[in-house]
Amino acid sequence: MSFVKHAVIAAAGLGSRFGAGLPKCLLQVNRKPLIEYQLKLLKNVEDLRIVIGFREHEVIETVLKYRTDVIFVRNPLYRITSTLASYHLGSSGIFERCLFMDADILFDPFSFAQFIEYCAEIKVDIIGYTDAKTNDAIYVGISEKKRVLSFSREHSSKFEWANVCYINPSLLQPDGESVFEQLEKYLPIQGKHIISYEIDTPSDFEIAKLSNIANHSLYL
Amino acid sequence: MRFHNDLGFMEKIYCFDLDGTLTKNELLPIIAKDVGLQHELGILTQLTIDGLISFEDSFKLRFSILKSIPISRVQGIISQELLFGGVIKFIRENTKNSFIITGNLDCWVKPILDKINCGIYTSTARQSGDFVSDLLYIMHKSEAINNIKKKHPNSEIVCIGDGFNDCSMFEISDIGIAVGYVHPPNKMLIEVSDYVVYEEGTLCRLLNTL
Repeated sequence: MSFVKHAVIAAAGLGSRFGAGLPKCLLQVNRKPLIEYQLKLLKNVEDLRIVIGFREHEVIETVLKYRTDVIFVRNPLYRITSTLASYHLGSSGIFERCLFMDADILFDPFSFAQFIEYCAEIKVDIIGYTDAKTNDAIYVGISEKKRVLSFSREHSSKFEWANVCYINPSLLQPDGESVFEQLEKYLPIQGKHIISYEIDTPSDFEIAKLSNIANHSLYL
Repeated sequence: MRFHNDLGFMEKIYCFDLDGTLTKNELLPIIAKDVGLQHELGILTQLTIDGLISFEDSFKLRFSILKSIPISRVQGIISQELLFGGVIKFIRENTKNSFIITGNLDCWVKPILDKINCGIYTSTARQSGDFVSDLLYIMHKSEAINNIKKKHPNSEIVCIGDGFNDCSMFEISDIGIAVGYVHPPNKMLIEVSDYVVYEEGTLCRLLNTL
């Protein structure tokens, strides 16, 4: 199976909308931290970089239990910067397409594997979208050929931005507002559906747990 | 990618700590062990890490503990020390742009420098026969970085280290990489670093993509 070479996980944020006082990547699902699920999915990625900020020592300590060859990239301004800044810092020095994802997402492992295989094979920039379900969804407009045509907070659609993409890092300028507003400049971009649960609020977390994907055999 | 003026890529200068960054062990405890003084040195190291005595006082005390050992004996112990091959290879490929910055004494670490052959900043001592008699200069790592900056004004300084005494060079460098493959990097150092890595191979991957 083909695989992507570089991946950047943004795990620096405060998770203030969730309000647990804990980095969201350390939230426990089936008594395992969320980041462990992602590390399992990315175990074949040669160059894995995790951007850290809020309670960084605990995030490092947790990651090291599962994998020690990670490059930890510090975002000391995590309180005032967005995921975009973390992605920019995390991908500095990478000049090939790279997988970018937030640390607060629980993925269906089979769907994630298909996404990665698609990325590694078709060799164009790719935006991940998922069935709309979160409170603060950024909806995406999709063409018949599954190309992402638009992002919108207002115009609802069946799908929302999954906060995972496989793109050339040069698409992300550090001075922009957010990742999707940066990507917007380059639309249309090829889309790929993925089964994923982003956890921004306690109700998102409940939906993710109810989905039962954490019990998938590939995670056990 | 960082550009400087219109000159193209900025030259990168790599500044490596020695103990635990290039060597597979901290050197002073090994020297102390050889003369049965590892306990005394250990107490001193802990007091320094905890910030209860100044770096300078600590260095003078460590020097007093170890100065009774002949230089040739210290060099003999140090020349047996294993080095991290991957990082040493990187330095050898970048000798003109690499420096070792260590608080250790020039005459003690000479065997390692003979093997690596790059720029070096160390503490220095007066020698009297096969013994060190007085301390002449105690290395403050930020002074070494300032000196390098003067000599290479259009460069980007990358520092690599693992201990509390590397904080001062990280603070005035462009990129700081805290390493934790011998022991976890000092927590204060992590807080002034840009990257943290825990395997030698990961450090080499990062250095090659900076």
